[in-house]
Amino acid sequence: MIGFTESNHLTFKKLFAAYGVYMALLILLIVASFITPDLFDEETLAVLFRQSAQLGIIAIGQTMVMLVAGLDLSVGGVIVMTSMVVAEVSNGRDELIPLSILVALILGALIGLGNGLLITKRKVPPLVATLVMLFLVQGAQQAFTRGVPSGFVPETLGIVNQSWGFLSIPLMVWFALNAVFLVLLRVTPFGRRIYAVGSNADAARLSGLSVHRIKIAVYILASCLAVISGVILTGYVGYVDRFIATGLDLDSVAAAVVGGTAFYGGKGGLLGTIAGVLIIQILSTMVVLLGLDAQTQFIIKGLVILAAVSLYGLAQKQA
Amino acid sequence: MKDDQLILEMNNISKSFSGVKALVDVSISCKKGSVHALVGENGAGKSTLIKILSGAQRPDKGTICFKGKNYESFSTREALSLGISVIYQELALVSEMNVVENIFLGREIRMTVGIIDSARMRQEANRLLEQMGIKINVNREVGELSVAYQQMVEISKALSRNADLIVMDEPSAILAGHELEQLFRIIQSLKDNGVTIIYISHRLEEVFRIADEVTVLKDGQHVVTRSMEGLSRAELVSAMVGRKLEEVFPQSANKAGECVLEANGISTDTILKKVNLKLHRGEIVGLAGMVGSGRTELARALFGADKLFSGEIKLMGERVEFSSPADAIRKKISLVPEDRKQQGLFTELPIKNNITLPILKKISNWFLLNRKMESALVESSKKQLSISMASEHLDVQFLSGGNQQKVVLAKWLHTKPEVIIMDEPTRGVDVGAKFEIYQLMRRLTEEGIAILMISSELPEILGLSDRILVMSEGRIVAELEHSEASEEKIIEYATMGESKAA
Repeated sequence: MIGFTESNHLTFKKLFAAYGVYMALLILLIVASFITPDLFDEETLAVLFRQSAQLGIIAIGQTMVMLVAGLDLSVGGVIVMTSMVVAEVSNGRDELIPLSILVALILGALIGLGNGLLITKRKVPPLVATLVMLFLVQGAQQAFTRGVPSGFVPETLGIVNQSWGFLSIPLMVWFALNAVFLVLLRVTPFGRRIYAVGSNADAARLSGLSVHRIKIAVYILASCLAVISGVILTGYVGYVDRFIATGLDLDSVAAAVVGGTAFYGGKGGLLGTIAGVLIIQILSTMVVLLGLDAQTQFIIKGLVILAAVSLYGLAQKQA
Repeated sequence: MKDDQLILEMNNISKSFSGVKALVDVSISCKKGSVHALVGENGAGKSTLIKILSGAQRPDKGTICFKGKNYESFSTREALSLGISVIYQELALVSEMNVVENIFLGREIRMTVGIIDSARMRQEANRLLEQMGIKINVNREVGELSVAYQQMVEISKALSRNADLIVMDEPSAILAGHELEQLFRIIQSLKDNGVTIIYISHRLEEVFRIADEVTVLKDGQHVVTRSMEGLSRAELVSAMVGRKLEEVFPQSANKAGECVLEANGISTDTILKKVNLKLHRGEIVGLAGMVGSGRTELARALFGADKLFSGEIKLMGERVEFSSPADAIRKKISLVPEDRKQQGLFTELPIKNNITLPILKKISNWFLLNRKMESALVESSKKQLSISMASEHLDVQFLSGGNQQKVVLAKWLHTKPEVIIMDEPTRGVDVGAKFEIYQLMRRLTEEGIAILMISSELPEILGLSDRILVMSEGRIVAELEHSEASEEKIIEYATMGESKAA
């Protein structure tokens, strides 16, 4: 009998490692249908999906960074930078929108390049390197705007939030980007190399991979994805706000972790992260629907991450 | 006589690691105040014996009698408090702390109120160092000291714990010639103070110079313990080797072709000193030498993994410069690294991902992987090397050692190499797979590939190599043809150390 239950246990853990996050999502949806049925209103869903898309687009980059055993804390800074650049460069003129986005992308790529160079060439730990970059970006913004952002966000940029029922442009962009990066990670040489570098950087170098170049490319991609998320957020808010991205950076890490991407690299992927993003956003929405305060939201978020990490840890040990 | 008192007796010690017998019924005893040398080839069981003595590992069987008391086993902490200290090659010092702090780390002398008594500690440290006849400023950070002095700090640390028995694991490996004299002087003064030393070394002349008694281990078994008096070098070497070629090696039928890889006077800032080397098509060159003699460093230098300090590498007569392994791979050189799990494989990734990693571009159309082509390649490897695997999607960690090594080989064979450097190609590989790997190596040379094989197993070196190079202390000290080589000769050259090599 004991043997029977034990082997069952093991199977559950193995299943959890593979599909656990989707099981968790399903359970959460069932619970929600009982305690917060309002979650499934079209309007609520629309908001939920738009927010998921904003977080999800950054989380794509964060997941890839974590796959090469890194971390990017500068994504929030990149989003704020994006909204300022869009406002400054376009200054409310529609015809300058493409140019302003291009400038933001170039600056974003440079920030990612900076992260990557610090981490690979100077061997700064990712946490420190991207934190340094965050401070530099924030400082530069403050110096440039002298604390008061000028410029206007063109009204036309609001179209990035066009929606049809719960379908919206952000949701479709998130969906499309996920499709692109899923393909990238799974069936391109670059994706294979990302996993190899994260799994064993030493062996990767001895197999002829340019470990540095691969890491740098991943950090640049992560920053550019943050720019895209920043454009959407700016269009939605319609003005420049220094606090526009508060919490998004750490939430993107949380989404990847809940989705099963390992901190030590080489393990995990986007399918898990998508579910991780949805779980975090659904929980936040439920807290609001239940009329609980913001502190409760943080506590619940913390507990969910703790649960996910310890369950993955258990599954790891069993395997 | 007090001198003949035994301080240590290890009786009938046996130890296995997951079925592999590391020590079988080994007994060893040491006289108080003597220097007892422990010698044997790599893998003879010396380190396991020392680990048991230091309390780091428990014996499966046997007893340890120390200072007249019997023990089944003890913890490292207990070993230290009994008076047994081990000084490993990798020194256990904190380089950011000064000499005094290191000596008393974890056992700081305190005043009655519990505050650390720096003055007394400094005094005590000076006394210990003086006792050994060493002058060091005890306030200097250990990281600023030379390795030789760091080693002396370790010895003082052992003395400050009132060690009666100090084990030195290849202490000379990290020392230069003149520093060795100082070590011998210290050992002599320790002896005079009644401290017993177990001295492990690969260099036989040191053993003849410093030891009173010697114990030879081989393949985990005790061969002989005897006094150094009247012992000849030849006797000692044959006691260390004394073994027949058991495995059957596929014989070489072909003659070596043109020279593919040539190294002229290459040095690195680690250990290599002006190494010259030539590899010809169709030959297996064995690279023998003790661990730490620079074999792995030579492999890494030829593969572009470590930077050259001086010298040049020529490929087909043309000078090449490798700034990374990627360059070497492009020039058709492969390295099967020593540490398979750390450097050769991605254990948590599927077999196919491991095998096709260096040739991803070749199996891609535009930027998408052609997975059919990939599967076909993996399938061909599976057949060629008879890798037994349930599915190409399985993580490599679930394969046996032999099959894992075949995966590493498969990875390189797809890059169509002309030179393969193999560092310990059959380590941790079962006998069956070993033989398959030997046969494969022969087959590859028949196709014109040149193989440089590093191995610590002398039968493998002797059985498989067309030519044998022996390394010692970063140099190639001998080149032997297959016909003239013997285990004795190789050991002789590998252990002769700096004095004779120079």
